[in-house]
Amino acid sequence: MQQVAAEAEARALERKFDIVVLVSMFLAILSGFHIHQMLTAGDWSFWIDWKDRMWWPVVAPIMDITFPAACQAILWSKFKMPIGATFSCAGLFFGQWMNRYWNFWGWTHYPLNFVFPETLLPQAIVLDGVLMITNNFVLTALIGGELWGWLFYPSNWPMIAPYHVPVEYYGQLMSVADLIQYEYIRTSTPEYIRMVETGTMRSFAGGVLGVSAFFSGFCSVIMYFIWWYFGYFFGWTKFVKHSKV
Amino acid sequence: MAQATTQTVSISIPEKSAFSWKNLWIALAIITVFEIAVNVYERTFAIAKGLDYFTPQYQTYWMSILYTELILEPTTLIALCSWLWVTRDRAMENLAPAEELRRYWNLGLFVVVYTVLLYWGASYYTEQDGTWHQTVIRDTDFTPSHIIEFYQSYPIYIIAGVGSMVYAMTRLPAYARAFSVPYAVLVGSPLMIFPNVGLNEFGHTRWFMEELFVAPLHWGFVMFGWGALAILGTWLQACPRVLELIKQVYYGKPATAPAVVLNEPEKVTKMELCEI
Repeated sequence: MQQVAAEAEARALERKFDIVVLVSMFLAILSGFHIHQMLTAGDWSFWIDWKDRMWWPVVAPIMDITFPAACQAILWSKFKMPIGATFSCAGLFFGQWMNRYWNFWGWTHYPLNFVFPETLLPQAIVLDGVLMITNNFVLTALIGGELWGWLFYPSNWPMIAPYHVPVEYYGQLMSVADLIQYEYIRTSTPEYIRMVETGTMRSFAGGVLGVSAFFSGFCSVIMYFIWWYFGYFFGWTKFVKHSKV
Repeated sequence: MAQATTQTVSISIPEKSAFSWKNLWIALAIITVFEIAVNVYERTFAIAKGLDYFTPQYQTYWMSILYTELILEPTTLIALCSWLWVTRDRAMENLAPAEELRRYWNLGLFVVVYTVLLYWGASYYTEQDGTWHQTVIRDTDFTPSHIIEFYQSYPIYIIAGVGSMVYAMTRLPAYARAFSVPYAVLVGSPLMIFPNVGLNEFGHTRWFMEELFVAPLHWGFVMFGWGALAILGTWLQACPRVLELIKQVYYGKPATAPAVVLNEPEKVTKMELCEI
């Protein structure tokens, strides 16, 4: 009887440690991922008028496959937990929304439909699914990485499409997104700062988005490989003796 | 603090209160109240008193915060680490398994507090600065948002991170005579975000003012942010020992002695220890 009680207590204690590990992991990965994301792809994420067809679907997937790949490397390899990508992207999503709501809107009053973040969750679920089904990070890099790039724009399109409706404003053609940024003044982001598609003499106007998505899928494959091994590095369990430091 | 001095074979099961959430709830309540107060202060005085550095109100309402926190933070860090060091366990080779397990629990709660503060610093107040940049054209490096972000929220999580590491080094055999690489990265790399402010402010003051968030000037923060991923290695390293201790304390199975762990900490990082 005493043994049964002891085992029950042991199991309860293991669950308590699980909560400590999961909560701290969620918050740490959230923080690292958010810093990384906001300073490498942040400007496209902040503003609806930066969410274009050429740069946003290239920069965001390439920069955002990083932490998912690293988390998968440990969570899948060591624990067979198929949630690495979703776990990190949900963390990023939480950090972004907390901030857009309480600060961009709550403090400095930019409307939320100007500053809502992109979503990565559909691609993250696909990436986790591919890894779980194949149990093979090479195939996940090749298939999941391409899908990560391709799916980015389609999964965000339902959110941004309403802002691409054209309007005539003082004789000029503008999208609603352009009009929003024109109306809600940003002191430090003049229009020329934003990096969006402006057209070139070497491009075909109709093929912009597909080509960008394909390119970002290819780069995501490479980033996935690099960051999978980065994940191994951050999951290294080495000790170094004090005398050697 | 109860100190066991002998190694025993039959181990009495510790009280449930040894693994209580109470200290975490207290810490989270303090953090929550503090952060709400900071947000209320920002909303009350940033636009009202914080738009022009060259006014006396700015000195009263904002620079006073900066000077106060710059005194309080290093004092707190030194006091905390000194206290942890002075009260360190000087006979760790005799540490009882139940006590070691309890200390791992304390460490776990300490790390949770660290990551909560890391969230406030690295995620909340950092992106918050993004929107303040769109509200003012700055006339100082010490904007209200920077006074909170760089000089308050970052030092606070650094205090918690370094404190938790000193706790581990002074209380747990695995960390007493060797540095855990992932733990050092977990604490040290986000710590370096604060010194990197030096590069950032130099760049903005001497080089360019406009706020492109993705400017290469900011990528130092990015690289140091990666270190948060070392939480993976930190738990991968600590969890096998925790499970080994649970099995020893509750099931009476043999476990690696603290004296061995002191000298060969890597012995207890093996995943096999997690198997039932």
